[in-house]
Amino acid sequence: MTVSNVASEQFVGQAEETFYLNGSGSVTTEPETLKKIPGNKAVWVGIFAELSEFAVFFIAYFIAKAHNPIEFEQGPLALNTLAGTLNTFALITSSYFVAKSLAAIRVNDPQKSIRCLSYAVCCGALYLLIKFWEYHWNVDHGIHADTNSFFSMYYYMTFNHLIHVSWATLSLLWAISQIKVGNYTQQRHVGLTAIACYWHMVDLAWVIIFPLLYVLR
Amino acid sequence: MTLDKLDITWLILLTITMANALVAETAEPHLVITAIICFSIAYKGRRIIDNFMELAHANDTIKKLMRAYFYIFPALIFLTDAFSTQLAALTTL
Repeated sequence: MTVSNVASEQFVGQAEETFYLNGSGSVTTEPETLKKIPGNKAVWVGIFAELSEFAVFFIAYFIAKAHNPIEFEQGPLALNTLAGTLNTFALITSSYFVAKSLAAIRVNDPQKSIRCLSYAVCCGALYLLIKFWEYHWNVDHGIHADTNSFFSMYYYMTFNHLIHVSWATLSLLWAISQIKVGNYTQQRHVGLTAIACYWHMVDLAWVIIFPLLYVLR
Repeated sequence: MTLDKLDITWLILLTITMANALVAETAEPHLVITAIICFSIAYKGRRIIDNFMELAHANDTIKKLMRAYFYIFPALIFLTDAFSTQLAALTTL
């Protein structure tokens, strides 16, 4: 038996000894995330940078709304609430599938993990399709980026968010490919955790954007 | 069929979203409505952070920063609605 085989068996032994699961997709007793940074530090630098960017948008929205109360009261009424709601459903559902995928890889079920990630990618694609339809609908109803300050904010925020959804969807496709080639496994899936955290951040940004643009007047 | 924490979180988030859409279509602007919406934003954010992002038992700094984002912004939304005149005066060049 070689030294590397001994080390490998020790690692597997340790993993089996410390890798707990409660069977419900929760990680409350897993050393993988307990008191640790999920994924890696780099992705969290990115996540906080993105959230800071969205924070600037939100503050700009607050100030613009304070200066143009009538435009911001009438603006949400002119938008397609159905499109905004369906997009929220798509993003929440995609986040759910990403979380399910992570839970599946932890129980050494890569096929289920791939399946869940594929559903999440479909939800991301659905979001982009709905946005495309919504922008067309807006044009048909005379809503443009320069119509007034509310719609300028609307296009600025939603298009920026759309770009984030686009590249986050590509990162999910990357994660699927990495599971398929065996780079993400039960013992090693830090990259998948990092991608999952980024995807949830995109969902979180929409949790604020949706009521700001479609609900509150 | 049993529902796990992720299933329940997903169903709660969809229900809140539908309630928000109903408010968007029917309710007249009012500070109480704003307060309810702000609470729903904070609650949705907390559910995603704790259950989907799995930060409830993760690194304290990251968890607190993420949770703080969803306390601060819903509060700011409410305050800017409640004191919009003062905010406009404060930000007029």
